[in-house]
Amino acid sequence: MKVNTRGRFSFPGGVHPPEEKDLTSDSEIQPGPNVKAVAVMLSQHIGAVCRPLVRKGYMVLAGQKIGDSDAYVSAPVHSPIHGKVKEIALRSHPILGRSPAVIIEAYRYHPTKYSAFELKEDFDVGRYSPEQICEAVRKAGIVGMGGAGFPTRVKIEPDPRMPKEIMIINGCECEPYINCDYRIMLERAKQIITGLKLAQRAAGCSQVFIGIEDNKPRAIEVMKAALGNFTNSDNIKVVPVKTKYPQGGERQLIKAILKKNVPTGGIPPAIGVVVLNVATVAAIAEAVIGGAPLTYRVVTVTGEAIANPGNFNVAIGTSVRELIDFCGGVTKKSAKVVVGGPMMGIAIADLDTPITKTTNAVTVLTGEEIGKAKFARRQTPCIHCGRCLRVCPENLNPTKIAHAVKNNLLDVAESYYINACIECGCCSFVCPANIEVTGYIKTGKNLLARQKKKMPS
Amino acid sequence: MLSDIRVSCAPHISQRLSTRVVMIDVIIGLVPAMAAAGYYFRFYALILISACVISAVATEWLCNLIRKQPNSLGDFSAVVTGVILALSLPPALPFWVAVIGSSFAVAIGKMVFGGLGSNIFNPAMVGRAFLIASFGMLMTTWMVPATVNVTIPKISPDNKIDARTQATPLAWSKQAIKAEKQARSLAKAIAECKEKAEAHAKAKATAETKADEEKWAGTYAEAMAEAEKQTKAYADAKAEAEKYIKILNEQLKPTFTGAVGGCLGETSAIALLIGAIYLFIRRTITFHIPLAVILSAFVFAAIAYLINSDAYVQPIFHLTSGGMLLGAFFIATDPVTAPLTRRGMWLFGIGVGTITMLIRIVGEYPEGMMFSVLLMNGLTPLIDRLCKRIPAGGKPGA
Repeated sequence: MKVNTRGRFSFPGGVHPPEEKDLTSDSEIQPGPNVKAVAVMLSQHIGAVCRPLVRKGYMVLAGQKIGDSDAYVSAPVHSPIHGKVKEIALRSHPILGRSPAVIIEAYRYHPTKYSAFELKEDFDVGRYSPEQICEAVRKAGIVGMGGAGFPTRVKIEPDPRMPKEIMIINGCECEPYINCDYRIMLERAKQIITGLKLAQRAAGCSQVFIGIEDNKPRAIEVMKAALGNFTNSDNIKVVPVKTKYPQGGERQLIKAILKKNVPTGGIPPAIGVVVLNVATVAAIAEAVIGGAPLTYRVVTVTGEAIANPGNFNVAIGTSVRELIDFCGGVTKKSAKVVVGGPMMGIAIADLDTPITKTTNAVTVLTGEEIGKAKFARRQTPCIHCGRCLRVCPENLNPTKIAHAVKNNLLDVAESYYINACIECGCCSFVCPANIEVTGYIKTGKNLLARQKKKMPS
Repeated sequence: MLSDIRVSCAPHISQRLSTRVVMIDVIIGLVPAMAAAGYYFRFYALILISACVISAVATEWLCNLIRKQPNSLGDFSAVVTGVILALSLPPALPFWVAVIGSSFAVAIGKMVFGGLGSNIFNPAMVGRAFLIASFGMLMTTWMVPATVNVTIPKISPDNKIDARTQATPLAWSKQAIKAEKQARSLAKAIAECKEKAEAHAKAKATAETKADEEKWAGTYAEAMAEAEKQTKAYADAKAEAEKYIKILNEQLKPTFTGAVGGCLGETSAIALLIGAIYLFIRRTITFHIPLAVILSAFVFAAIAYLINSDAYVQPIFHLTSGGMLLGAFFIATDPVTAPLTRRGMWLFGIGVGTITMLIRIVGEYPEGMMFSVLLMNGLTPLIDRLCKRIPAGGKPGA
């Protein structure tokens, strides 16, 4: 397959939101709060919801599997701490609303320090067979940690119908404010390289590209240096891509690096590509070599209002409230607590929402950061200026779709390819009339899905 | 301090841009044209622009009051409508006519459709069309710019009109076309007369009686005299066409600077271009529609010029004179009434440019920008449907 060699690696459309990464870009990954209790959601991924393997009163160990499913597209969940199962109850999930979770009370003081992962220079991925790697990844419950949460095992397992030739490691982190992937690249570069080699072996990809936005020169340097340590790394390349939101969207990253479009409604393997986040490949290394399940992840806690913003290694299941308190709480009047970044993150109402495998950040936004008009939700009529069309990375017609949904014309919305929307939020971001274009489109997609479920054609 | 948090859908930040800023940018883009109008037409410009803006704003306020809708003056769109309408009016127009036009533009052109964003036709052009239909004479009486001495021959046969009036360059262009057309029909008539004369001469040669011969000789002489008369008229018409083309060529430079007769804001090409550059820098408009309008008009005019350079003036003239630039940069680009997609914009622009030139060259009116914009506005929903965007990944399932 040919690789784009001319010009900067980029894609059509996109926006340049204020980056605001300075808040946490220089803070090292530190241990997160010592939690007294965690709420491990039973659904932290795309696919079947896990069935709890424990009951009220059970004692569990850190790393013990507490939920699993027989479905292929799913991932087990594990307890991050030693403790006792208090109950299995509903908790707020950023995406699913109320969803079942296993609530575990810490048994005793539990160290949450991240034990640095030692890698030997003479490490040989050949020691592990692809089957072994896939099995380890599945057992560790690894899912895509960039946001979508697709079970990684399903992604990397070879599929004879869709052979994977190219693997792209996503280190773009185009979302403003967030730095967790950046810090992982700086501090755990070797681990990332190991993980990607394991993933490459499992998926049988001949080429690997590490895409990093060019506003992170240090990460590019560190990753290149780490690559140099491995002798046989001829097929692995670090690719600096243009800094532009949503460069980290997998379809956009593929477009930028390979100059290819993933078919609408299709997945990257349809064109022989698999995209993995840097945090995911780091977790793969831990899972395969250390046998460690995914129970901790790096979360950026940031925003102007946070007293001590930073990047933390947080036990999955920790509540947002605890995390914010751990960072010294808020100092200014805050308007929104967002799980994720300001472009795609979800504003939560319940501060007891637990951190999941896909939570890369908790962003507390003030009214000023949101902007006066946005904060007041002052919408004016659409003047058809076409800005949303120009920034749409998927070449859609956002305003037409949004207005079709608004007028309850779902068939019209479908005729404008509503389901091709990746919900990146560029259209809402640029809208001078301040219309929640993305919001309407998301609503339309949900309504359509519900309609299809009720009336299968 | 985390007690009063809000939830809403992503994204949670936005570009600091509002409809008001977009509209104010358009007004700023029109400032050079307004300044040129003020320079060339002095107080007339001031009166017309303020009359239009004030009545547009007042009408919008009143409409909101009647419709029991929140006040929408803050988006400044009424001001934009007022300014554009004023700039497309003849300078000597009485202010009360402008007030009527401006009120009509906002009330019927925009507010009856539901206000900003819902109107099908460009409000300012709706107002102008209304005025053309209602005050035809006033709307075609052009004033000489204050900086120009009246040395250019008058075109209007009615010399009783105010001595300060003159025709617009486009009217001269129309006259040239008409004179040339007349010349062509005269040439045909001459040929016919000559043919007749020849037939008569033949008849004379074969005449049997003397009386017949004399009769034929008489008719022959008649036909020849007629032909001579026609030839003279033909030469006159030709000379007239030539005269107009010559005037037009001389007027090319003034159409750049604006020292010609015409609507308030459309005479100065330079001022309009400066404003357009500002809009491009601010990204208020994209290049698609203006470029399509100008290119298609230029191609149309160039073809006409190549076919008959006696009747048609050089193509560049059509770009700098009349409402071409005002229309291409400020009227056709009105986002509300123009297509959304890039392909649609090209189609729309080509339609505007071509129809304008059709009216200017073939039609009865000297200027056609307003009609072409209104026509294409009506087609915009169809164009948008025709030029749907295909997702980056292709149609689903393909």
